[in-house]
Amino acid sequence: MQNQEGLQADGEVDSATSAPSTQFDDWANFADNDIMQQQSSIQAEEAEKIPFEPLSSLAAEYQSGSTILLEKIKVLSEQYAAIRRTRGDGNCFFRSFMFSYLEHILETQDRAEVDRIKANVEQCRKTLQSLGYTDFTFEDFFALFLEQMESVLQGNEDSISHDELILRSRDQSVSDYVVMFFRFVTSGEIQKRSEFFEPFIMGLTNATVEQFCKSSVEPMGEESDHVHITAISDALGVPIRVVYLDRSSCDTGGVSVNHHDFIPADSDLPSASGSKTISPFITLLYRPGHYDILYPK
Amino acid sequence: MQASRARLFKEYKEVQREKLADPDIQLACDDSNIFKWTALIKGPSETPYEGGVFQLAFAVPEQYPLQPPQVRFLTKIFHPNVHFKTGEICLDILKNAWSPAWTLQSVCRAIIALMAHPEPDSPLNCDSGNLLRSGDIRGFHSMARMYTRLAAMPKKG
Repeated sequence: MQNQEGLQADGEVDSATSAPSTQFDDWANFADNDIMQQQSSIQAEEAEKIPFEPLSSLAAEYQSGSTILLEKIKVLSEQYAAIRRTRGDGNCFFRSFMFSYLEHILETQDRAEVDRIKANVEQCRKTLQSLGYTDFTFEDFFALFLEQMESVLQGNEDSISHDELILRSRDQSVSDYVVMFFRFVTSGEIQKRSEFFEPFIMGLTNATVEQFCKSSVEPMGEESDHVHITAISDALGVPIRVVYLDRSSCDTGGVSVNHHDFIPADSDLPSASGSKTISPFITLLYRPGHYDILYPK
Repeated sequence: MQASRARLFKEYKEVQREKLADPDIQLACDDSNIFKWTALIKGPSETPYEGGVFQLAFAVPEQYPLQPPQVRFLTKIFHPNVHFKTGEICLDILKNAWSPAWTLQSVCRAIIALMAHPEPDSPLNCDSGNLLRSGDIRGFHSMARMYTRLAAMPKKG
């Protein structure tokens, strides 16, 4: 080997080059990885604490807080009976949506809804394929979600009870896979209709649609925003109500609680064609930075 | 554990099938352990790494693909985002921006892209980062080139 152009600096680095490569066998050097592991163990600990509570517990939480919030909680308690708390790890929207949806199927045993959602899931699969995603990168997540949906339908060998649904939703090996399924579905929908979503994404970040999906939709722990909720509601054809509990107040003096209904764009819901308004069976409570599940009276 | 094994097996089959599709990457699984992989990647052209072949080691965690593989350079490389001693790589998709949509193969592609487009503002190798940040492109190139020749090219008989 010849030393030619621009190697004036070689004198001082000679010693470093002779370091044997065998010293790199030690995996303990991964400081970043240690941090990630510790973080996920803290999150696992927190996951044990997701109770189902009457709405009064929410009032207790804000006892010494803002009066606007307390009044809003009073208004809420006229319509809603209970709250189910979701772990706050950035996946709370998807996890709330998962539990709320599966619980709805478990309680209604609505087979038509299951068939409808399955057809939409197949559509999502095709969307990802046409976007160039390799099947094996997402198929395990799709399979696990479909499995959960089958198991909340009663009368099968592997049907599960409500208690079991709660246990599974707390089990990361199930729950995280379903969250990831939703993330794939959301990402696929946003990219498929990138022209529609682009202005919203431009408003949130400086990223392109594809960058946004790669950095803010697909990675676990990335929080969900309007864009995510719109996309998943459209992709699966499931309406979602989000009730906002924040300190905003209206000028007229009276306290009211805002909500927004995400109604699927190309809704194939039976009631969508008529003039009847769709009432979402999934209601989530949004407090800045976090989603929980609300139960109507 | 079972899920990660199944996924890795699919990746293994895909790698076998696509062996010739990407001549810049040779990915291989350890004979006895599907959680250990190595890759040989070619230094991208028009960079100081051109002509070099760099070895990467993958350690795949049990929670894969929900968690990223740990990847590091076994071949010494002078690059702002690679730790000079440990070979650790500073790349967002190997940390917070990871998602299961990535594969071991596409991680290799991302690392090749990182070799061609260093990010000197978040350096693991400060000497290398400082050369680029101070605008000493020539100094950076000659150092990176020297290490490519010393560590990543076959010694001529």
